Amino acid sequence: MGLVDIAAAKTLASSAVFIFITLLLLASAKRTRTCIVLFSMQGAVVTAQILATAYVHRSAEAYAIAFLVLVIKVLAIPYLLLRIVDRLNMPREVKASTTSAQSVFITAALILLSFLVVQPYVRAFNIDEDMLAAAIALVLTGCFLMVSRKKALMQVIGLLVLENGVFLAALTSTFGMPLVIEIGIFFDLLMGVFLMGLFVFRIRDTFDHLDVSKLRRLRG
Amino acid sequence: MVLIFPLLIPLLGAFTVLLCKSPRVAVRVALGVGALEMIAIGNAVVRVYTTGALQAGEYLRADSLTAFFLINIGLIFALVLVYSVGYLRHIPEGRFSSPRWFYGLVFLFLFTMIAVYLSANLGLLWISVEATTLASAFLVGFYNTKGAVEAGWKYLIVCTVGIAFALFGTITFYLAAVRCGIPQDTALNWTVLMNAAPRLAAAPQLLKLAFVFIVVGYGTKIGFVPMHSWLPDAHAEAPSPISALLSAVLLNCAMYAVLRFDAITARALGPGFSHHLLLIFGGLSITVAAFLMIVQRDLKRLLAYSSIEHMGIVALGVGIGGPLGLFGALLHAFNHSLAKTMLFFTTGDVRENYGTLRMDRIRGMARTLPWTSGAMIAGGLAIVGMPPFGLFVSEFIILTAAFTQGSYLIAALILVALSVAFGAMLFHFQHMLGGESHTTRVRPKAFLTDLAPTAVCVACLLVLGLRIPPVFTNLLHSAMAVLQ
Repeated sequence: MGLVDIAAAKTLASSAVFIFITLLLLASAKRTRTCIVLFSMQGAVVTAQILATAYVHRSAEAYAIAFLVLVIKVLAIPYLLLRIVDRLNMPREVKASTTSAQSVFITAALILLSFLVVQPYVRAFNIDEDMLAAAIALVLTGCFLMVSRKKALMQVIGLLVLENGVFLAALTSTFGMPLVIEIGIFFDLLMGVFLMGLFVFRIRDTFDHLDVSKLRRLRG
Repeated sequence: MVLIFPLLIPLLGAFTVLLCKSPRVAVRVALGVGALEMIAIGNAVVRVYTTGALQAGEYLRADSLTAFFLINIGLIFALVLVYSVGYLRHIPEGRFSSPRWFYGLVFLFLFTMIAVYLSANLGLLWISVEATTLASAFLVGFYNTKGAVEAGWKYLIVCTVGIAFALFGTITFYLAAVRCGIPQDTALNWTVLMNAAPRLAAAPQLLKLAFVFIVVGYGTKIGFVPMHSWLPDAHAEAPSPISALLSAVLLNCAMYAVLRFDAITARALGPGFSHHLLLIFGGLSITVAAFLMIVQRDLKRLLAYSSIEHMGIVALGVGIGGPLGLFGALLHAFNHSLAKTMLFFTTGDVRENYGTLRMDRIRGMARTLPWTSGAMIAGGLAIVGMPPFGLFVSEFIILTAAFTQGSYLIAALILVALSVAFGAMLFHFQHMLGGESHTTRVRPKAFLTDLAPTAVCVACLLVLGLRIPPVFTNLLHSAMAVLQ
């Protein structure tokens, strides 16, 4: 067994743990910048996971997807978001409606919950339990971040975390979708973040703040 | 090539319009591109009607169902383009809110919606539906007011989350297909899946899980209660032509996506599961929307809730199923788009003359704006399902389907919701039309570009209400055959 084989096996075995760590850190982070860096690190874990899968299954498509994830989720989107934070020139706290400790506790509970809900599917379809649970935990935590953080940018990050989860679920259960479709999905994602960034500037210019919990003119 | 042109023209048109510095030139270019696009769509529809389904490469396909919805989008889009000529006069030249940006974004929006209809691949379908959100978010926030920016943000976030769930559903669908032995590279192809549907019955759990996520995901875009929160805001804050496009075309687009998945699931597992789910969401939507219509204060929000109600009726028609239910549902989607387009067009005039859309501040419309009021009365009668307009026929067909299948509860629910919606519309409209007006008329006469689209809508609704042309019935029947 060569060194690369060992590395690939170790990556596959441990990447779920690293994803859980990024999730707990995201829940406790107090600054938007920290969250963006954590999101980038999460992307790096996912990239390592895809590379390991690509190596084990000898799949050229998976290498291409790993490259895409690296470029878009680890580099491009975090860079774009950091630029937005810099140019917004606004207070940078995430303004959570729960304290850090509460958030970490809730996230831990969500991780436990995701291990519970994946059980029937793991047994029936012979899918890696840790990774599928990690995917569901990403989706749930993404939703939690979106509803509990008040800053517009944090909602974008929550959405991205959620999307990471959907992506990881696809990867663990089917080794990803056809490459053309994956490229299309990444393009949509990038455009989406770009547009949301533009909207964040519009919110700042029209409202003079970024607190989306105060956006409540439209009701009923 | 027949299928490439309807996609290529709006995409190139969007960039061409953006290059036009002068607003007048931009309007003319937009009308020219629109005319070309109508020819391209018409050509595709005629080809499908005469020779059957068309396939272009691996990813594009048009069958009768596509053709039916292409007629819908082509007709409504043409009306919107004509109406916008008059509507855009009061838009000041701003950084991103000039006519050229309006038309540029509208053509991009059209491109994404045509892509939804022409997708042969369920993955491409998802990409296109997500792209419709991205293309239209700035149109919703076009006015850059506080309300518009808030509505645009809400629309972008809520729909993107919803669509992310639809992606999860699509992936699960793919997983089910792969597990049932369909090769990976064709496991998202709709035709392949439809033909192999009986084999998919081997993975019922996965298929059911997938369909739940699909309905919740795309249902967010259709505006099913309780995922509808973006819809009234977006419809109310967008410019009137955009509200018409959202309500009459975009919602149908999302419904089309659900129909495609519903067909496969129903064929694989029998109609029980997927149709019941549609009945639940449809029933919830019509009930909640009908009662919320009573308490609305803003005219466009009233119309938006009415859209939720009508999409609920369409979902119920599909859910009741059988040839009659599906026929009624497709016809109703078409009728609703015509009537709602017309009503949203009248709101543009109302806003311009009264400076508000708050219904309690609008009085005496019948005297000050006779033409607009006439259109509003006709549209109002059509939308509540009065004969001789088309919606009466389609609602009657859906009700007949419900009674013949013995789903009396559903029939009762539809009747109650329709009566409540009727009362709410009547109450609000008579308040706006009657009484003495406080405002003086701003505009001396109604513009031809406002009245002509409305006249076309009324004519189409009358034709569909009195005698549906045999060509149209044939197309509808072959569209239904695609789904069964």
